[in-house]
Formats: sequence, structure tokens, C-alpha cells
Amino acid sequence: MIHLLYKEWRLAVHPVVYMFCLMGALTLVPAYPYGMVFFFGCLGLFFTCQFARENADLFYTMMLPIRKRDAVKSKCLLFVSVELIQLMATVPFAVLRRWALPDGNPVGIEANAAFFGFGLVIYTIYNFVYLIVLFRSGYQVGKAFLAAIVPVLAGIVCMEAAVHIPSLAWLDGMRFAEMVRQLPILCGGIVVFVIGNLLTYRTAALCFETTDL
Amino acid sequence: MTMLQVEALTKKYPAFTLQDVGFSLEAGRIMGLIGRNGAGKSTTLKAMLHLVCPDHGKIHMLGRDFAKEEKACKQELGVVLGGVAFYQTKTLRAITGVTRRFYPNWDEAAYQKYLRFFELDEQKQIRQLSEGMKVKYSLTLALSHGARLFLLDEPTSGLDPVAREELLELFRQLVRDGDRSILFSTHITSDLEQCADDITYIRNGRVVASADRESFIRSFQNLKPSAGPALTLEQIMVNCEKEGGYDSFAL
Repeated sequence: MIHLLYKEWRLAVHPVVYMFCLMGALTLVPAYPYGMVFFFGCLGLFFTCQFARENADLFYTMMLPIRKRDAVKSKCLLFVSVELIQLMATVPFAVLRRWALPDGNPVGIEANAAFFGFGLVIYTIYNFVYLIVLFRSGYQVGKAFLAAIVPVLAGIVCMEAAVHIPSLAWLDGMRFAEMVRQLPILCGGIVVFVIGNLLTYRTAALCFETTDL
Repeated sequence: MTMLQVEALTKKYPAFTLQDVGFSLEAGRIMGLIGRNGAGKSTTLKAMLHLVCPDHGKIHMLGRDFAKEEKACKQELGVVLGGVAFYQTKTLRAITGVTRRFYPNWDEAAYQKYLRFFELDEQKQIRQLSEGMKVKYSLTLALSHGARLFLLDEPTSGLDPVAREELLELFRQLVRDGDRSILFSTHITSDLEQCADDITYIRNGRVVASADRESFIRSFQNLKPSAGPALTLEQIMVNCEKEGGYDSFAL
């Protein structure tokens, strides 16, 4: 598993992914929908898959002494690692934001615990749709992105809009009591992320077993 | 030892069917898989490697069932897919650095030896290599992890005559010890006349004949129109395709 992950980062990752991992810096922008951080994360993964296709990455991977389904595992590991790195890189910016911009974000959700919880769910949705559509053909990276980005954008819009509903205003809070109330969303996001990505791998691997390259 | 055994390999596409392809390859031998463009040579190789999902058939490599022991089979397998160039902007060093991690029996000394033998510069990017050098690099990787069975898809296509001769001589050297075997697909029949021990001829997705080279050529001499020199492999293939009927075009 570690060798597959090394192979992805060493050979298959598009250079833009390194920049998009730092898109958490957008949480320092005073009035900005922070859900765009997740959109850029998804975009970076799309560019990487496109880059990999143009470099015959799947053919190289299949020549290695691995099972066909391990090629799916390889991409799942890459997606999960990029997303987790981006989320972890966002944390220091989110902490800095609290002191740098104490007036809050008038546009949408704050970079708080709920934000990260929703982010994990959004990424799970993206991975599930994208990887399954991709591995049905092995090469339709654009079609997979179009299919996956629609529910992702819907999720981002719902997240940003929810904090404007008065009864859900606590989702936008940065105070300790409100963050504690958001913890179940963060924990739920983690559970969804883990189970969702395992399901993604199993389903995509099943599809890929019958895909002709 | 039978290095490769293919039985009843079948794959259906909307406009083409690979039907009941079967042949075997013994240790220390080179087999040429010949056929015109679109006959099913590459499809056969891809089906053997699970790049394409066959509808039926069994593949045994090095005494193992490929479907059940894919990882173990690939440990001793060397593959060169013609026309596919990986990671054009990466250096040989970067690709090797990744590849060696997957092979517990990687031999670094052998790798360095073959790099020198093929005059490959590790600092070069894939896009800076000629077609012949790309094939040599793929062979270097295969030889460095102790591959005993080599599957090559049109390795000499696009090579100049000198490079082709170099590669064919290399193939002869590789199998000389009797421990390795090579299966390579080609439509350049003159390559097979120089180095192949066995020939498998595919036409329209079916195996027409599979035998050692002398028996193969002898068995098609009935296609000779009149007394004269024996038909070459190229003439055999052309006559067989003629018998099957060319598409006729009104000019």
C-alpha cells in the first residue's frame, strides 16, 4: 500500500496539486465562500487524473506486480491523502483567521469544526462518484468530473446557505460552546469519510475488474 | 517447462471477436505472434495481462494460473507495450526508483549492468529517448527483477533496420540460457525469420496455426502457386489473407 502511494505522489501527481493543497489559505480572505477550498481540492484531483491519463499511468500501473484492483486502491489512496493533507493544511489558516479577522465571514460558513466535518462529507461524495465513473472506462476523466462536481457544488451551496437559516446559526459559530455543538458533525464527517471511501474502493474495484483498457 | 499456456481465450467486441485463441510456449524459446493489422494480436496480449477482460479462457504463466496468482505471475514477467510511453517528462531514475520498490528480488547490480550495456542515461527523460531506447529501457527494468517470461507487443515497430537487428540479437541472447522465453507480436515477418523458434498466426481473431517455424512454413507450402522456392512467412501471410478475401475497392 505504501509503495502504491509513493508511486502516485512520485509519478502521477500533477504539480498543481501541491498548490491546491494550500488553498486553505483562502480562509484568510475576509468575505469569501470557504466551500471553494473543497472545490479547488476536487479540481486538483481532476487535473491529476487527466495528467495521469496523458502519461499512460494506468498502463504503467498494470505492468507492476499488483492485482488489477490494486490500481483502484492506488488512486483511492492518492485522493484520500491529497484531501487529508489539504484539510490539515487548512487548520493553521483557520486558527490564524480567528485572530486576523475577528469580525467573521459574512458570506458563508466560518472555518470551524462544522466546516471541516462538511468538507469530509463533500470529499467522500466526490470520491465516490468520480472514481466509480472513472474506473468504468479507465479514461473518461472529464465525464467523471462533470458527474462528481454537481453533487459537490450542491453540497457546498447547501453548507454555505445553511448558516443563514436562523435556527442553524450555531453551525457558523466560533465560540467554544458552539464548536462543541459542532463536534458531532466533525465526528460524523470522519465516519462518513472512512466508510464512504472504503465503499468507494470496493465499488470502483468491482467496476474496474471488467473494464477493458 | 511450459512458460506460457493459453487456452480457449475468447473476447467479444461489437465488431470483432477473439475466438478460442490457444497456444503454448516452452522455456528457452521465442514465439512470434503474427497477423495483419487488426487481426487480434494486441488484444490477445492485453487479454493475457488482464488489461482487457476476456469472456472465456485460461492463462497459465510459469506454472501458475494468472487469474488466481496475478501478483506472483507478474513478479517474473517483463512486458513491453508498443506505442505506449509512460511519464514522458519523468527521468529514467525517477521511474526506476518507483518500479524497484515493487520487486523484492530487484537486482541493482544487474540494473546498472544493463544500463551500461544499452547505453542508457538515467538522467534523461522518457521523451528524450528514441523508440528503440524506450524498448531497451523496458527490457532493462524487466531483466533487473529477474523476469523469465517476456511479452512484447510490436517491439520493433518504428525502429530502423539497425535498431531492429540489435533488438533481435538481444532476444536471441536472452533465451540462450534456456531459462527465459519471449513472446512478441509483430506484423514484420522478416523479424521472425531471423529469431523466432515458434510461430502463431492469428487471422480475424482466430489462430490459424501454431507450430515451430519449420513445421509452420512447411504446412503452408500448398499455397505455393507452382514449383519454385519455398514460400516465406510474408508470402504465407499474404496468400492466407488473399484466400480470406481482400476488401475490394472500386477505383
